[in-house]
Amino acid sequence: MIKTKNVEKTVSTSEGDLCILKGIDLEIKSGETLAVVGSSGSGKSTLLGLLAGLDVPSSGSIELGDYEITALSEDQRATVRAEMVGFVFQSFQLLPSLSALENVMLPAEINGVTNARQLAEQYLTRVGLDHRFKHYPRQLSGGEQQRVAIARAFASQPKILFADEPTGNLDTNTGAHVIDLLFELNQEEGATLVLVTHEQRLAQRCGRSITLESGAIVADVIRAEQSATVDTLARDAGAQR
Amino acid sequence: MFALRLLWRDWRGGELGILSTSIVIAVTIVTAISLFSSRLQQSIVAESSFFLAADKVLRSAGPVDPAWLQRATEEGLRQGQVLNFQSMVMAGSADTDGEFNPEQMQFTSVKAASDSYPLLGQLEVSDRAFGVSETVSAGPAPGQIWLDSRLVPLLDIALGDQVQVGAKALVASRVLVNEPDKAGGFSSFGPRVLMNLADIPATQILQPGSRVEYRYLFAGPPQSLERFGAWLNPQMQPGQRWLGLDDIQPQISKSIARAEQFLLLAGALGVGLAGIAIALAARRYSERHLDYVAMMKSLGATSRRIMLMYAGNLLLLAALATVVGSALGWLIQQGFFAILVGLFDISAAPAVSLRPFVIGAITALVCLMAFALPPLLALQGISPLRVIRRDIDSGGASDILSYAMGVGGIGLLMYWYSGSLQLTLAVLAGVALTFLIVGTLAWYLLRGGSMVGMQAGSMWRLALASMRRRGLQNAVQAVIFSLAIMLLLMLALVRSSLIEEWQVQLPEGTPNHFLINVAEHEVAAVDAVLTENALVKENIYAMVRGRLVAVNRTAAREYVQSLGELPDSDQDAAPGAGGNRGAELDRGTNLSWSDTIPSGNKLLQGQWWQPGSEAAELSIEASIAERYGISLGDQLTFQVGSEQLTVTTTSIREVDWGSMQPNFYMMLPPGLLRQYPATYITSFYLPADKKLFLNQFLRQFPTITVIEMDAMIVQIRSIISQVSRAIELVLGLIIISGLLVLVASVQASLDSRFQESAILRALGAGRRLVLGSLVIEFSVLGLLAGFLAAISAELSVFGLQEYLLDMEFVLHPWVWLIGPLLGALLIGSAGYITCRKVINTPPIEVLREL
Repeated sequence: MIKTKNVEKTVSTSEGDLCILKGIDLEIKSGETLAVVGSSGSGKSTLLGLLAGLDVPSSGSIELGDYEITALSEDQRATVRAEMVGFVFQSFQLLPSLSALENVMLPAEINGVTNARQLAEQYLTRVGLDHRFKHYPRQLSGGEQQRVAIARAFASQPKILFADEPTGNLDTNTGAHVIDLLFELNQEEGATLVLVTHEQRLAQRCGRSITLESGAIVADVIRAEQSATVDTLARDAGAQR
Repeated sequence: MFALRLLWRDWRGGELGILSTSIVIAVTIVTAISLFSSRLQQSIVAESSFFLAADKVLRSAGPVDPAWLQRATEEGLRQGQVLNFQSMVMAGSADTDGEFNPEQMQFTSVKAASDSYPLLGQLEVSDRAFGVSETVSAGPAPGQIWLDSRLVPLLDIALGDQVQVGAKALVASRVLVNEPDKAGGFSSFGPRVLMNLADIPATQILQPGSRVEYRYLFAGPPQSLERFGAWLNPQMQPGQRWLGLDDIQPQISKSIARAEQFLLLAGALGVGLAGIAIALAARRYSERHLDYVAMMKSLGATSRRIMLMYAGNLLLLAALATVVGSALGWLIQQGFFAILVGLFDISAAPAVSLRPFVIGAITALVCLMAFALPPLLALQGISPLRVIRRDIDSGGASDILSYAMGVGGIGLLMYWYSGSLQLTLAVLAGVALTFLIVGTLAWYLLRGGSMVGMQAGSMWRLALASMRRRGLQNAVQAVIFSLAIMLLLMLALVRSSLIEEWQVQLPEGTPNHFLINVAEHEVAAVDAVLTENALVKENIYAMVRGRLVAVNRTAAREYVQSLGELPDSDQDAAPGAGGNRGAELDRGTNLSWSDTIPSGNKLLQGQWWQPGSEAAELSIEASIAERYGISLGDQLTFQVGSEQLTVTTTSIREVDWGSMQPNFYMMLPPGLLRQYPATYITSFYLPADKKLFLNQFLRQFPTITVIEMDAMIVQIRSIISQVSRAIELVLGLIIISGLLVLVASVQASLDSRFQESAILRALGAGRRLVLGSLVIEFSVLGLLAGFLAAISAELSVFGLQEYLLDMEFVLHPWVWLIGPLLGALLIGSAGYITCRKVINTPPIEVLREL
């Protein structure tokens, strides 16, 4: 599903060039749940941005599905994202002037889906917010906002879901509920999940985790039960095509 | 459809409030002012044209070629004819043989008019002397005559009696109170009578050599008049003139021109102010949509789609704003006109044209392109990575490009609107100067100091600490505030100067009657009579008639020929000069003398002579000096009677011809002219209820000629008053625009203040402390901005008055007080009203949105 080859990312600062990622070779299979862990400043969010096509590496190549996104323009990458990608962010990133329902409808509207409203209502109900359709983000708690964000991410029926510290702004209990919901939905939808987190506890819920340190992958751990699940999903995906 | 839903959601969320209001206000102001100005201009010009009783007049010393009149008919022009001359009017009775025996007679100014007279304006008549008047639109029928009120007691007649004009008896059917073209020429000499042109042959008055002024009146579409005038001009003979309002009433013409300039300036500034408000609102809209766009891009929206969406929505907004703004603009000018129609005393306002609405629509479009496009480009260029890294800036148009587009847009609009490159550049220069001076001063005053921490213990310290912390942001805001206040002050200053100048020129008590042909032995007696009747009078000046025969020892005709042809526009540059230079030489000029420079005269070059001087010096009026190429040191020789007098030009004066006091082109020291026979001239103010004084005066001094200017002065004053009111109303519109800029500017800084206040209140600061510090901060900023605005306003007004409006600049002390107070009040209030929301929103809601 996602393949990177010798990806590097360097940025210019007032003190000279800063290498954030170096020599990233990574392959993520369809249906995998991957945790990207590391301390603050290790390059986790930068890697997530590159994998999702939100940014381009300084060198190397990235394949997302059938597309080599490093060779595409920003607008072409946008089209790929519309087709394949969903996001859940640490700061929820809900649009304040839109209601919960309208926020969830947004990806479908952008892609011209005709039953955007029904789809949004379905997913909001799935995350337990059927009574909050018309409420605005400022009227929702943090956990509720993140549930809206999760509904929005899945309403676009992505093949890959990227989650950047989804519980970073939530208390432990709420975070746990949100993560449960995230994994449940992911299981139901059969999407590939790439989860950036600094919490080991959260990383252990994923079938595989890579550890970043100073911009390089220093560990890549696959849990046995994840391996079997991934193979099954890959086989099913091939059969459907 | 998605774009429309997006627009609706933005509107519902209050994101478009200021932006849409700014566009509506811009369109409203531009439409209202355009509509108002064009209708006002038409009304004022129409009313002013009443001075001619026509749009244009061909004045001639004799009958003109009938082919000319035929040509005017072919051009579709309405025509009329008037003869002006002076004649005796006699009242008496017939004897037994039917012979007429005159018993009373009076020298009068006679106007004989065709049936179509007046082409423009109306006549005021009455059924008894000094009675209540009514307006009529045509003159007397053949066989009738209308007399000035004063003539009724002077001739000792009653209405319905017969009077004799030459050989013709006419029935005195009505009293003539006023006619539109009363002023000018010798038609104002003595009491007036109006008769029908058809009766002239029967009077047998007009003989070869009779001094008669023929006036052919024309009215019609401006293009037809222009074509006819262009055809006529090359064929006119010396002594014939094609007259418009400019020639008859240069003062009104100048006043109207100034008023138009002011209205255009106001409109241009209104556009500029609204443009600034749009720019601020668009910028804020763009900043608040950065995350929006980054999110949409992360979900798959392309840059092109984003651009189309926002551009399409803005165009839709512009279209809606144009409709609303045009409707509001029309309503406002209708309201203004409803107030003013009564004052104008015209039956119907001129028709509305489409041009103002087109101007409004194009203004909306240009404003959006110039001010909203740069922030839009910023939106288009935002990286989707911003959803993860909020620190990523927009990749759109640079600030410099944004400002350049904005200034270019404002400049183009101003130029298109005013039609004056000079005015546009003057305003833009003033604005640029303001940015430079004010920005530097503001930054210097507001830059961060050594104060540490937020100083949250007291309202004042919190406010001042906040100002210093936001030094650069506040400096920019101070510049914008200062600009808005400066533009408002500029308009107020220019308007005050215009109105004051007009009122100074024609204050109450301005002399409204001239006495000429006063003999030397009558001077003391005339002075005594005027004093006894408590009439305010000017000095009595002597006049000696002379003819210029040589300049620097070259014969005058030869000298004039050596000067070459005058440009057409300068043919009649000198007020009252008329005709060409050769004819002027033949007519001669009035020489006068004075020990001191008369009031209303200003020395431009040279020096005035000492009192009692008998030196052979001359002080010449500036426009005549220019017309004849006379400079300091030139020697002029005059033929006075049988003698020649040579004098050297030692000073050149500027004369205020509108001051209604005796003024002269040529003045000499008293000692030079006393030996020559002279007549005297003076002017005085006669209240309307004392008109009968003239009858008594003329009985006592039958050889003195009285020129009555009262009706004309009243009319000038009325027009000026109406124009002043119009200017004030337009100023009101511009003030709204200025306030909008202030609100938009305050709003622009709101977001960061929201955050700070939420955190302060979450940490325990009371609402009073937070709101109080915000109000103080804005008020102090406003005070500073107002002070800086006063500086730049005075500088800008100096430039405008000195180089554009041709007015004398004076300092305005009140601006230095009002500017800062106005700034503190307006911006403090705007800050309070806008920031109340900051205080009333629960901190948790604000913090959640961050």
